[in-house]
Amino acid sequence: MKRNPVRERQGLAGAAARHEFDFRPGEGIPFWDETAFYQFSTSQIEDDLVAPAEEIENLCYEVIARAMEDETVLQRMGVARFHWDLIADSWQNQERNLYGRMDFSYSGEGPAKLLEYNADTPTTLYESAVFQWEWLEEAVVEGLLPDSSDQFNEVHEKIVEAFSHMGIDSVLHLASNQEIEDDKGTLEYIGECANEAGLLTHVLAMEDIGINGDAQFTDLDDKQITTLFKLYPWEWILAEEFSANISASGTRFIEPAWRSILSNKGLLPVLWEMFEGHPNLLPAYFEDDPAADSLGETYVRKPLNGRQGANIEIFRDGRLEVSREGPYGDQSHILQAYCPLPEFDGAFPLIGCWMIASKAVGMGIREDKNLITGTEANFVPHVILD
Amino acid sequence: MKNLTSISVVALVAAGALWFTTREEPKTDAAVYESLQQCLADVNMVRSDCEKNYAAAKQQHASVAPKFATQRECEEEFGAARCEKAPQTTSTGSSMFMPLMMGYMMGSVIGGRGYGNGQPLYRTRANPGTFRTADNKSAGRTVGRTKVAKSSTTRPTAKSSTRSRGGFGSLGRRFGSAAT
Repeated sequence: MKRNPVRERQGLAGAAARHEFDFRPGEGIPFWDETAFYQFSTSQIEDDLVAPAEEIENLCYEVIARAMEDETVLQRMGVARFHWDLIADSWQNQERNLYGRMDFSYSGEGPAKLLEYNADTPTTLYESAVFQWEWLEEAVVEGLLPDSSDQFNEVHEKIVEAFSHMGIDSVLHLASNQEIEDDKGTLEYIGECANEAGLLTHVLAMEDIGINGDAQFTDLDDKQITTLFKLYPWEWILAEEFSANISASGTRFIEPAWRSILSNKGLLPVLWEMFEGHPNLLPAYFEDDPAADSLGETYVRKPLNGRQGANIEIFRDGRLEVSREGPYGDQSHILQAYCPLPEFDGAFPLIGCWMIASKAVGMGIREDKNLITGTEANFVPHVILD
Repeated sequence: MKNLTSISVVALVAAGALWFTTREEPKTDAAVYESLQQCLADVNMVRSDCEKNYAAAKQQHASVAPKFATQRECEEEFGAARCEKAPQTTSTGSSMFMPLMMGYMMGSVIGGRGYGNGQPLYRTRANPGTFRTADNKSAGRTVGRTKVAKSSTTRPTAKSSTRSRGGFGSLGRRFGSAAT
């Protein structure tokens, strides 16, 4: 794994326009940086990332199986008892998952360490699946990369394929907070993938979802929502008024409710408890667990349901070294052993491994100047070149 | 507690208040027919435009037509024998009634030939010569190619059985992006 400087494509401004990204001469596209790329060997991808990610995916299924038997799992994750049946039903009905992103700390040497699993509402999908791939193709044409350059990236094809296997036989509704441009973009892209799989789609705002006299969820045309892709986290859905209607509605959700067990940071201590010593896992404990003392005075503290690095704190030798502000600080927390992101040219890359229908099929790297990756991180493309 | 029928009737009355405004609105090209046959008989029209827009209007009718709790209330507004039972029911399971579709309107497609955005039209008892959209906007008295107020060509809103909205989305407003 290396970080190689490279010049921007001559066609960058045109690419930005085609993909409707902001672009400023001299500054480029916000949160996209192609003045460098990360280079990996085939074995680094296949042995150090793909194989561990798919193995962890299987361990995650064991966590869910345990949560179905052992109520302390959902209890410790802070899921209200009222919703346990909903989560259990979605698992027992084998409702299919579509996508997720495992975030790893990895330097090219030694085992990649799982920092968290964004199993419910991951973003930077379009940059990973489409824009990064186009960069590779154009950079080869412009002579910036050798012809033999490849990329770990089948994300687009696999999402389309996954949609065609989900057994969706009527319109797929897609909902998010429509006031957030980034979320809207991700939602539109997922809708395009569904269209490519032959599905009809209808986009709406979460707040526009209605309930009719038959307890069905409806869109603004009063049409029943039979399948809903929601770019909106389960922990919010379950805390909102209409959550009590979900079981009666007959609506199938993507991601299904059982994914909330994996997107919760409580996954990390449960994984460690069940598979302690696994080379790709970091020691982790619920904050109120006395066993957390074994971490000593150097650890990372994370809220159960934070987003984009918010309210994460890094303690070193008992002192708060790095932290990010945010609105999630009043939740319960977990503590995780500190495995700093590697440093390349003053930046800290975080490896996001895309899991589509539970298979590791692609990668996106975000680079921050801060050890806690946050909203100002840049997406930096990657290449496989032996 | 509000039920659907009360909401719909209130909406109808509220829209009615707008009928009497005199402000001249911008006009746009449209075509209005009482039936598919009438459209097909118009030598100025292309068969596929007639059929496609009729199908669209017919399909929207049950969803967008104003709804009433009783046949009598509906007929008071739209005339004797001019109402039918709606496919929807209220939240308590009672029947609802809606006016018959009395025609359809399509807008001319901007920048090209042809017509689109077909929607159903109705006629009221008080003013039977004038076509009205499901949202109670005038579509004029003319059959055939005509000009109508631009605002009347917008897509009509659904008036069926959604009882409430807004039960999702509050935490998104508070926290912002769902991104992880």
